[in-house]
Amino acid sequence: MIVAALILILSTAMFFFYFQVTCQKILRRQFDREYFQSIVNANRFEFPSLRKSLEEFGAPPDYPRLRMMLKCDFLALTYLLKNAANVNQRYSKEERLLILYFRWQFLSLSVRRLFKVGEKKAILRLTSVLQYFANVVGQRVNTVRFGNLTAADYLLNL
Amino acid sequence: MDRNLLSYGLQYACYFIEAGLVVYLAQRRQHRKQGSVAFYLCSLLAADVARACVLHAYGLTSLRYFYVYWSTDFLLVISAFLLVCFLFRRACRGEEKLWRFVRLLLLFAFILVVGISGLIFSHNYRALFPYFVFEFNQNLYFACLVLNTLLYLLLQQIDSADDQLGLLVCGVGIQFAGPAATLALVHLTTAGPFALALNSFSMPVCTLGMLLVWAYAIVHVKGKASAVTRRQIPAFAQVTAGLNV
Repeated sequence: MIVAALILILSTAMFFFYFQVTCQKILRRQFDREYFQSIVNANRFEFPSLRKSLEEFGAPPDYPRLRMMLKCDFLALTYLLKNAANVNQRYSKEERLLILYFRWQFLSLSVRRLFKVGEKKAILRLTSVLQYFANVVGQRVNTVRFGNLTAADYLLNL
Repeated sequence: MDRNLLSYGLQYACYFIEAGLVVYLAQRRQHRKQGSVAFYLCSLLAADVARACVLHAYGLTSLRYFYVYWSTDFLLVISAFLLVCFLFRRACRGEEKLWRFVRLLLLFAFILVVGISGLIFSHNYRALFPYFVFEFNQNLYFACLVLNTLLYLLLQQIDSADDQLGLLVCGVGIQFAGPAATLALVHLTTAGPFALALNSFSMPVCTLGMLLVWAYAIVHVKGKASAVTRRQIPAFAQVTAGLNV
């Protein structure tokens, strides 16, 4: 009985550990430049300012607003991931995994908020997922060409 | 949604990705470089095909299916252990001293699992299949999970530059940890209906998770064939390459 309980606890912990490590390894992917900036500016996403305020001042905005900001950015970015310059019009494997990871971290944020433990860490993880999504969208948009212009050049010349 | 339909869907998704990865490795001539992955994928595929054929021919309640199921399970667990050994070998490439120690550790773990399972077998030596094989499979499975975690810690310790290996190890961890947890839950709840239902889903879901992570690692992440560790790069080489030491 004790051994089974021990195995249950250890295995469950390891399962979530491996899940988190896998997602973080994917998030560590290096992009050749910061594609997310143009996407953030064009869509007025709020996650970079949220992260900046957390890193510099250590204080997030009030909790309901924070949740709303993260949720809105997530919904907009997942829509863009699926539809902006995506020929297949569907998520890739790693994007699905990261969407699951975001939802999991979003849930864990509520729990952490309740117990007041490691709230900042969870918010930073959520923003890093959003930044990754923005980078992917930016990279895709950058590769789409209108004649001799990239999508970014095209928008600038309008 | 119908539970059986979901279960079948997950199983077929697993078969499809297993076959797809094997074909991808063969096409790109990576089956030698990714020998351990190809070996385990082939084992999974062979076990799935054998089970499906016998199930189709003799039915779920037949004795033949029972024997084939547990025999293939036994072979799969042995393959899983060999996979962990191969991954350890890949991690220890260029670290012969460490590999000698790891080899002993792996051998010790295997003998320990055989010994513990043998103790249970000795109480009822006539029933090889229900007792020894079930116990051995469960114990070796958990041992693989623990060894895989040690491998992950080892990769962190030696600061391995092989990012692909890191993801492969994470995939293996997902595959081992999920079923180990649900099997323990089944044992704790004395085969309660919820635990059984969870167990029947956790295996294909975790296998699918592992296959997806492996697919990402093989297709998108470049592995370092020599598995040079970041720590090992000599200072002069870093200066030559214009890196900060």
